Amino acid sequence: MKYLFIDTATTNLVVAIINDGKIAYMYDNNDSHDTSSKMMPILAHAFDNTKIKPCDINKIFVVNGPGSFTGIRVGLTVAKTMAYTLNIPIITISSLEVMASGISGTALINARRGYVFAGTYDDNLNVLYNDSYVKMDNNLKKPYISYDMFDFETIKPKLDLLKVILKHENDISVNPHKVNPNYLKLTEAEENFNHDRNN
Amino acid sequence: MYILAIESSCDETSVSVIKDGHEEVSTVVLSQMDTHANYGGVVPEIASRMHVENITLVIDEALSKANMKMNDIDAIAVTYGPGLIGSLLVGLMTAKTLAYIYNKPLIPVHHIAGHIYANNLVKRLEFPLIALVVSGGHTELIYMKEDYSFEKLGSTLDDAVGEAYDKVARVIGLPYPGGPLVDKLAFEGADTYKLPLPLDDDSYNFSFSGLKSAVINLVHNEMQRGNEIVKENMACSFQNRVVEILTKKTMKALKEYDVKNLIVAGGVAANKGLRDALSKACLKENINLIIPKMKYCTDNAAMIGAAGYYAYKRGDRAGLDLNAKATIPLK
Repeated sequence: MKYLFIDTATTNLVVAIINDGKIAYMYDNNDSHDTSSKMMPILAHAFDNTKIKPCDINKIFVVNGPGSFTGIRVGLTVAKTMAYTLNIPIITISSLEVMASGISGTALINARRGYVFAGTYDDNLNVLYNDSYVKMDNNLKKPYISYDMFDFETIKPKLDLLKVILKHENDISVNPHKVNPNYLKLTEAEENFNHDRNN
Repeated sequence: MYILAIESSCDETSVSVIKDGHEEVSTVVLSQMDTHANYGGVVPEIASRMHVENITLVIDEALSKANMKMNDIDAIAVTYGPGLIGSLLVGLMTAKTLAYIYNKPLIPVHHIAGHIYANNLVKRLEFPLIALVVSGGHTELIYMKEDYSFEKLGSTLDDAVGEAYDKVARVIGLPYPGGPLVDKLAFEGADTYKLPLPLDDDSYNFSFSGLKSAVINLVHNEMQRGNEIVKENMACSFQNRVVEILTKKTMKALKEYDVKNLIVAGGVAANKGLRDALSKACLKENINLIIPKMKYCTDNAAMIGAAGYYAYKRGDRAGLDLNAKATIPLK
């Protein structure tokens, strides 16, 4: 089985091709400025390098958030377009789960103004604390795993993609048209609108 | 040649299949206007979110309306700017993915070139021509010697004309988007309010923020004196100034460049006051005036597919690293 994995939700851009349980190609680089320019050339390189064609892919795994709103949309748009046009089953995965795949603990993404996207996972990637948009609170289970800078101690994520894939390999695939970001946060305009309406 | 075109620069998700730059095979436009009306204007993050939710559905519908499959498509054209960056990126990433998977040329199209070529879907453009592009985001005068050659003569220095319309509409108490309502009310009122003719100089540039501020000040002053604003008269006075300056500079450009063809493009091309004034002036000066059908005035992918064909003929191609840009010059 040939799988494609895409994660553009954090500052760490990941594109991987998994062939029969082995990682055939992996781009994993914490320098994702300009993801929108880099994403497709990296994907093309991944296919060239493995001599696998897009239509050979049996399943797409795409991270749908939380994280950078624009970032999520870049990878998710590519993944859902591929899944739609080539009729490939597609499965969505949490960015925080991917971050916690190598070292278990609480994965954090800085959401600014004292808020974080946080999710806690154990060694088998079972959810101990659901992905949330919350004010940072030191009661969350340590260690804290993050690509971002905080004023407390964090460790850099170490990805175990095969573990993530194995865990989700048999998830029920989603209709590509219904593959959407999981922002975990309304837009400011929506929050203000709801606030005004309720007061 | 069949081009699949994608447009997502603002609050419309649109996909078209266009044959040879002039024949519309199918178009789907999904407007988000009703959503943004709740907020009194387009909210960029909401627009981006809605584009990503709908993009594949819109492609699917456009292809099935055309009774075609991706393999029947010869090239992909996409708006890469100017526009809202988050919105543009959804269409752009989709276009790049399709171009890569099907190994088709990727044609980057400037949004304004699209508005101009909307006219090509009605009647083949004749050159040389002057294009007046007027919308919620743009106000530009462009000279075209031949296909896909653009020389910008002037543009707005501040607000786009459609933007000024929407703001004036709000000040006189009309709901968003108020531009069309101002146009309608203008015909029911008289030109009674003293407003300046904005940037009445020798350049081809425009400025609408001063005129807009003059309306706001007038409304506030009248309210402080306890006087009611006569909406119809304010709409008429404002529209008369806008139409006068647009017509004056456009006619001047036609004369100076010795051009006999004028095309009007963009959402404000639907404005009846502007259409009437330009028709009258063009008739007098024996100018061939082309105004697109209403459905081609607002943002749509058909115009991107039309422009994309001529961009392709000129040799425009983009690589997979093509990025979206909020502002780009038209070349």
